[in-house]
Amino acid sequence: MASRLLFSSLRQVQKLQKACIHGRSRIGNREVVGFGFNGQYSYQDRIDFPMPAIRFKESTPDIVALREKEKGDWRKLTLEEKKALYRASFCMTFTEMNAPTGEWKSIIGIACVLISIGIWVFILERLFVYKELPTSFSEESKKAQLKRMIDLRVNPIEGISSKFDYEKGEWK
Amino acid sequence: HTLMIITMILAMVLYFMASMIINELVDRYMLEGQTIELMWTIAPAVILLFITTPSLRLLYLMDEIHNPIMTIKTIGHQWYWSYEYSDFVNVEFDSYMTPYESDNKSMFRLLETDNHVTLPMHSFIRIIVTAADVLHSWTIPSLGIKADATPGRLNQSSFMINRPGLLYGQCSEICGANHSFMPIVIESVSTESFIEWIK
Repeated sequence: MASRLLFSSLRQVQKLQKACIHGRSRIGNREVVGFGFNGQYSYQDRIDFPMPAIRFKESTPDIVALREKEKGDWRKLTLEEKKALYRASFCMTFTEMNAPTGEWKSIIGIACVLISIGIWVFILERLFVYKELPTSFSEESKKAQLKRMIDLRVNPIEGISSKFDYEKGEWK
Repeated sequence: HTLMIITMILAMVLYFMASMIINELVDRYMLEGQTIELMWTIAPAVILLFITTPSLRLLYLMDEIHNPIMTIKTIGHQWYWSYEYSDFVNVEFDSYMTPYESDNKSMFRLLETDNHVTLPMHSFIRIIVTAADVLHSWTIPSLGIKADATPGRLNQSSFMINRPGLLYGQCSEICGANHSFMPIVIESVSTESFIEWIK
């Protein structure tokens, strides 16, 4: 008996094609028209799930009248009426959904500002914070150290001494 | 060759990024692809197994000891190294960094020491590294050696030097204020010169 109850309720659930989970009270007077993207009573403009579960606007007497007219020949509807019917059920058209937002401009702009702040920090540090390099970084010192490295035959296989021709006493 | 690989990878990634930005289509069923997620977890694991097996074998092969003819002990202190040659005669000395003199232009700043570790060429040498106070690390990059000096522990490493000259290294484990100022210099000499020196 319990299994028969279970199966009959399951059959009823299968018959329901519409959204039937909680939240019905939060949508006001808006009509439920389908399953939507996840079975809940929410409206979302999505190009991959184009038919939301509920209409966008609440049903008013004008719209109800238009819907009756819609059941007849569509050629009798004026353009304004068609637009009104669309806007009652949907918030944005596909063109509006896919329209570029121009967000990239502010993103690039802010990124440039932050990068320039970083560069300024670096410049000011270089000017005011860092000490002088030690004298071993002068050209003369570096040459003397390089000569010593060549004399010591440092890294003779693939490194610096391999690039020096010892017989001629000059770089290869 | 390396540049070619880098360029290819970079170009591929940029192409993917650009195509994703320009793409206006949406894949509804991108989430919860259980089969493909299983495959792309198992496949790299298998690949890694194939990489690990020879790598581990090589790692253990590299640690072989080849009957060294002498042993040196290195003890790291704050902030100098001390060396002991205890095989034939008992030689012990400390090795401090020599401060930089601006008139000696060919001096390598922060790399020279007062006493060099003199070692004979073409001989297998075992070195035992430890420390007296805090962690140090005895490194000679040109020999490919790095051995941590841990107080209370003896770490062993072995090497053979194939050519004469000076080999430099620096302490590689932070050990206090003068951690950058305790270098190591190995002077590799012929066996006769070494015997002369050690007497």
